[in-house]
Amino acid sequence: MATTETRGAIRIEDVVKIYDPDGAAVMAVDHCSLDIAAGEICMIVGPSGCGKTTLLNAIAGFHEITSGRITLDGEVLCSTDRPKSRPGSDRVVVFQNGALFPWKTNLDNVAFGPIMQGKLSKAEAREKALSMMADAGLNGVEHNYPGEVSSGVRRRIEIVRALMNDPKVLLLDEPYRALDSLTKSVMHEALLEIYYRNKVTIFFITHDLEEAIFLGHKVAIMTSRPCKPKKVLTVDIPHPRDYGVLTSKRFRELIEETNEAVHEEAVKAFQSGEKEG
Amino acid sequence: MAARKFDSKALAKGVFSILVFLVLWEIGSRSKQWIALDAFSWLRDMLEAFGFRSKYLPWIGAIPAPSAVLVAWKDVLFDAGYWHSWYMSGARVFGGFIAAMLVGIPFGLALAVSRTVHGIGFPVFELLRPIPPLAWVPASIIFWPTQELSIAFVTFLDAFYTVVINVVGGAKSIDVRFFQAAQSMGSSKADIFRRVILPGTLPSIVVGSAVGMGITWEVVVAAEMISGGGSQVGGTSGGGLGFFIWNSYVGGSYEQIVVGMISIGIAGYISSELLRHFGKYLTPWLRLR
Amino acid sequence: MPQQDKQPISPDMMIGILKATMPFQVVSEPLLRRIAAIGWKTTFRAGDTLYEAGGPADDLFIVVAGKIDHELQPGVHARRPMKTLVEGDVFGWAALLEKVPNRLAKAVCTEDALVIRINGEELLKVLESDPNAGDVVMSRFATMITRDYTVPDLIAQLRGIHRKLHARDPQGMNVTLYRVSRWLKSPKPYLMLIGLSIFFGGWYLFVEVLRLPRFREMPGITTVVAEWMSPNPTYGLSIYTGEYYQHILVSIWRVTQAFFLATALGVPLGLFLGWSRKFKDLVFPVFETLRPIPILAWVPIAIVMFVATESAVIFLTFLASFFATALNTMLGVESIDESYVRAAYCLGSNERQVFLHVIVPGSLPFIFTGLQISVGVAWFSLVAAEMVSGQYGLGYVINTSYTTVKYPTIIIGMITLGAVGYVTSAMVRVAGDYMMQWRLRELAMGAN
Repeated sequence: MATTETRGAIRIEDVVKIYDPDGAAVMAVDHCSLDIAAGEICMIVGPSGCGKTTLLNAIAGFHEITSGRITLDGEVLCSTDRPKSRPGSDRVVVFQNGALFPWKTNLDNVAFGPIMQGKLSKAEAREKALSMMADAGLNGVEHNYPGEVSSGVRRRIEIVRALMNDPKVLLLDEPYRALDSLTKSVMHEALLEIYYRNKVTIFFITHDLEEAIFLGHKVAIMTSRPCKPKKVLTVDIPHPRDYGVLTSKRFRELIEETNEAVHEEAVKAFQSGEKEG
Repeated sequence: MAARKFDSKALAKGVFSILVFLVLWEIGSRSKQWIALDAFSWLRDMLEAFGFRSKYLPWIGAIPAPSAVLVAWKDVLFDAGYWHSWYMSGARVFGGFIAAMLVGIPFGLALAVSRTVHGIGFPVFELLRPIPPLAWVPASIIFWPTQELSIAFVTFLDAFYTVVINVVGGAKSIDVRFFQAAQSMGSSKADIFRRVILPGTLPSIVVGSAVGMGITWEVVVAAEMISGGGSQVGGTSGGGLGFFIWNSYVGGSYEQIVVGMISIGIAGYISSELLRHFGKYLTPWLRLR
Repeated sequence: MPQQDKQPISPDMMIGILKATMPFQVVSEPLLRRIAAIGWKTTFRAGDTLYEAGGPADDLFIVVAGKIDHELQPGVHARRPMKTLVEGDVFGWAALLEKVPNRLAKAVCTEDALVIRINGEELLKVLESDPNAGDVVMSRFATMITRDYTVPDLIAQLRGIHRKLHARDPQGMNVTLYRVSRWLKSPKPYLMLIGLSIFFGGWYLFVEVLRLPRFREMPGITTVVAEWMSPNPTYGLSIYTGEYYQHILVSIWRVTQAFFLATALGVPLGLFLGWSRKFKDLVFPVFETLRPIPILAWVPIAIVMFVATESAVIFLTFLASFFATALNTMLGVESIDESYVRAAYCLGSNERQVFLHVIVPGSLPFIFTGLQISVGVAWFSLVAAEMVSGQYGLGYVINTSYTTVKYPTIIIGMITLGAVGYVTSAMVRVAGDYMMQWRLRELAMGAN
């Protein structure tokens, strides 16, 4: 467990988000509070369209919040007075459908961040990217374009691209949604491996309860729109974990404990006719 | 993508920008009057330095001002010949367009459904397509007995290309699963054609016809100008809007040229809008989401 | 290591066994047969050691019956080094790795076993001969190694194989030859011949043989070809006259100027229209007001505006191209997935960098679609402009040949226009492919 880490503690305090697209106000996030310790993997579970992504977008700085406050290591990202934070390389997002630039090679994608920020020269950034990709077992695909490798490999490259910036927080927005379950389990182990090496705070959105309990230190089950934590569960299975955990007794127990709550929200979301996304 | 709500702010900005454009145009075209003033001697010097005439602003100064155009428009507004031009061009456009749909849709579907037809027909189609439609005008005049028919043929030709290409592309892009689903539910070949291929191709027919409509206007105007107006009913400006423009040019009435241009622009816009609404009506399932 | 004898095995039995294994499950029957041809069978007694870690990695094994204990050496970082292999399991895959010539594990028979063995090098050769299927087999090997043998670190080396197979894909000339031979074997070329002969035969028959009423006026195919190829053309224009090429060059030169001017102005305008909401709100209404006016309607205005006819012709040609290019570029920018822009900001880009690294490359596919349309409409309006007011060029040739009753020359002009127009738009397509390698490679992947 990452107890010595001090970077990347997120505190969400009483955040409200109201969309007002055509006069009819829709509450997406309702007085949501959540504490995420530095170096922790926090899984946000909820049905599709419940407003989880809104929360992520607020942390990342893509959307403004209506009221409340979000801080990162005590520093205010956004609050009622300054509703929108600036996107920055301390909080890198890995997107739902993947956002590797298809027009850049995998290597140039990974090297992108430091070059843009002017932290490293092009050659230095490429060198660092090469070694980081090698560490993640991604050698051999550096000079291919993202469109040429499998979607599983693409996701891993995207995570490496994020880590190139030495971020405080990784924000993952259902990154494995489109993968088949076999690839998914390989990806989970790969993510954990990367995590054990980097100990970065991970804010991970998913609608898959097993994924959440397998990966997370903490699992927050959200209510369907408006979104707020319904139940926060601390997963007491020790890290490091591998896929053997999936068949362990404790894992099954935790699933049983939470399944009800998740299912209830899924039914609510279904009945209110939320669309995907 | 959701349709954008009627946005009064955007509309205001649009009106504003068009007004600015009109004012600049007015000032530009009136340069004959103000450029002679002493205050603009520097501008005259500059124009001469670049090799332009210093009597008025280059290019824009040669064009009639919007105010003059409005006056000219008011004059033709009650001229039956002007409205007859509208009618003539419109009739040609819709004639050529409907002919292109009637021939193009079945031909495109045949190309899409049968490999043999595709193998035989498509190479010839592709061979002829790079020839710009207007290059057909003289050959068409030689071939068809009346000028009206030759204009119609050229008009037809380009809309036909567009419709066929879109129908073939649309039919090819239908998801294979739809066919499999239809087959697994016991559809016959005729059923699949009627219930899968036809509706599946409809969206691209709609898109293709919108593009085809735009091109049809281009061709009609061009054909009218090149061939000299077709059957000349109702005086000098009876041969369609293209001829109206050409006639104004020959008669030296530059204001009327611009009136003609704007009229064609409006006519083209109206026909595209009509088509768009009709298309929406035909493909109600695309309105969702 | 006790050397066991290799015995031949019946192909049908071997195929049956291969089909039950994870890597070969999805391979087609013919390829399986070729793999079966290089396989042998061997029996081991309980207690026999098949190989030791560090020994030469030559063969790949498949268990048919019996049990074998497989222990990966510590250096491999397997999460579960021990595994007991039973019927259908594949092992000895070190033979397929690129950088590892030696065994990574120890394999000991614990219950009398029948196994199939295939030489790794030979198997790779067979797989490389069919890269598409070979690729699938290799990636299934990758999945098997990570999952069944819990060795994630080796993915890299398997990717190496994966790529090696790709690198040996038929390339360039070979692809072309392959496609040509495929095409010749399909009914397409023969149907095409039928289609073309119907067209040209019909032309000949109607005009020159049957001399049908309306067709009689038209120039016949033999007349046109004879005129076109004649050193002394009756109407003054053939491939032997310098004038012919002069007209072609004049038209091409006009289109080139107009096209490049339209690109130089239209692409930046489109980029800004798509990029800045404010700019679009201000400029787009004017743009949309002018766009529906047909190009030919501009002819008189162009003549009045430009003193020189040449400038007027180029202006008209430019105008249509400009609208097409700007509009498509704008649509291209608007088509870019919001995630790319967000990702770039996340990774610390400023606005200028987002524009250069995301907006511009992201809209390239649409820009090139626009440029293709742009060349097409450039020729369209050039012909129109030349027909109305030109002194040279192919449009002029077609129009004057009509007024001076040189009918075969009209057709020569039309054919030449078609050919030149086709070549120019092909050039734009090639330029687009060259600038968007990533897209080509993506499409190539999709086609496999």
